[in-house]
Amino acid sequence: MMVFATLPPKDEFLNTIFYLVERYSGFFIRGVLITLLLSVVGTLGGFILSLFLTLLRTTEVDHRRDTWLTRTLKRLGRGFSVTYITVFRGTPMIVQAMIFYYGISPLRLSWWTPLIAGLVVVTLNTTAYIAEVIRSGINGVDKGQMEAARSLGFSRREGMFLIVLPQAIKNSLPAIGNEFIVNLKDTAVLSVIGVFDLFRATQSATSSNFRVVEGFFIAAIIYLILTFITSKVVQRLDVAMEAGKENAHA
Amino acid sequence: MKKVLFFVVMLVGAVALASCSSNEQFDLDVETEFVVGLEAAYAPFNWSTSVENEFSVPLAGQPGVFVDGYDVVVSSMIADELGLDLVIKANDWDGLIPALLSGEIDMIIAGMSPTAERAETVAFSDEYFRSEQVVVVSTGGAYAHATSLADFNGARVVAQLGTLQDDLIDQITGVNHLDPLDTYALLATAVAQNAADAFIAELPVAQGMVATNSNLTIIRFTGENGFTVSDEDVIVSVALRQEDVNLLAAVNEALAGISTDTRNQIMAEALERQDNAS
Repeated sequence: MMVFATLPPKDEFLNTIFYLVERYSGFFIRGVLITLLLSVVGTLGGFILSLFLTLLRTTEVDHRRDTWLTRTLKRLGRGFSVTYITVFRGTPMIVQAMIFYYGISPLRLSWWTPLIAGLVVVTLNTTAYIAEVIRSGINGVDKGQMEAARSLGFSRREGMFLIVLPQAIKNSLPAIGNEFIVNLKDTAVLSVIGVFDLFRATQSATSSNFRVVEGFFIAAIIYLILTFITSKVVQRLDVAMEAGKENAHA
Repeated sequence: MKKVLFFVVMLVGAVALASCSSNEQFDLDVETEFVVGLEAAYAPFNWSTSVENEFSVPLAGQPGVFVDGYDVVVSSMIADELGLDLVIKANDWDGLIPALLSGEIDMIIAGMSPTAERAETVAFSDEYFRSEQVVVVSTGGAYAHATSLADFNGARVVAQLGTLQDDLIDQITGVNHLDPLDTYALLATAVAQNAADAFIAELPVAQGMVATNSNLTIIRFTGENGFTVSDEDVIVSVALRQEDVNLLAAVNEALAGISTDTRNQIMAEALERQDNAS
């Protein structure tokens, strides 16, 4: 049932908010779903890709055993990883979105939509940040862990993947959760290439009534609900891990 | 450092390669649809709505979102005339011309004035609407009774980024030319919240805003009191890629079939369909 058939007068702040929510609920719901999709895909995809970057970055050149080719490949991989992180952490996501979306659209790929471009950009961007998180997680794991693994006959790679990395990832989980919260908010910049996220949904909802403050007030509340819930989950994760540590010491 | 440089060079190279679009023109006999780009945020020319009616067109790739407005009605009329299906995509104002050049869209029908600067990169059709440039101020503010540009000496005036209106501001002597904003909704908000004293708009756009925001007032000028504008400043045209000469001719033919009376009527109806305040 439509309670507000017409736009309330300009000075009725709350009524305008109710009007916008009622009339444009479809926009807001769609916007929230897209924002969530971008954040979930970006964080999960970024996590998976960052493992490859970390792998490239933490390989060590073995001057006695590695052939010339292996050494070169390792150095190239390491260089790529360092460069990737420097470039993606050193440029704003809004700039990356413009370059990727408009840079690739001349190829006229039918599947290259703003949403796909947005998903790619947020994933590539998050990869760089999570790679740094995991790297510091690896640094946080006691050197003795790798030494013990090596002395028990694990290869370097086995030691990294079976012993060190699982601990590093576990320690990094809260930071990765924070990355998700950052993505919830920062994906708003992707509206610049036409992704219908919560920000653009709000812009659209105010496109013919110009009640911008009221519209973005609604958006702010929705963003706040999303980030509040997520930060509670991350906090729980933190507490659970602390408890786990204490058990391990006992 | 060398590697960073190498990566940047590679990236630039890839982008440059991707930018080499083909020179084949839009083939009216082969194509079954054409894609129109607009902002979906420039009422009454174009805006987003959740309402499906006989005028609104669904926005491509965004289920549940429709666009309506003068541009949308004209686009539908052109589509009928060309016998092609109409697809509409929304884009930021700044992104419209890049999208046209990259082939993402085939035409811009977005209330765009055919300025000489834009005509260097895109082709423009004949006019499809003629209007006048006005100033919008706060109803209770110091400039509510202004009658000439001279009255705006010292005023803080703002316009949309990358528009003709932004250039017109400099015709006011002693003006405080503020940094341009992204959308018209933001301009209305800036003046309503007293972040600016006035903004410049085309008359129908201003009329739509005043209808929804009683705290805004339009200042129209008579004779020599207003902006010095050339023809290209008060008309809007369809923008196309320069190589699409056949399509341009077809669009011009379609536009020629829409009389001035019909145009004014479409605009009046579009203003009616906007979210109007009670």
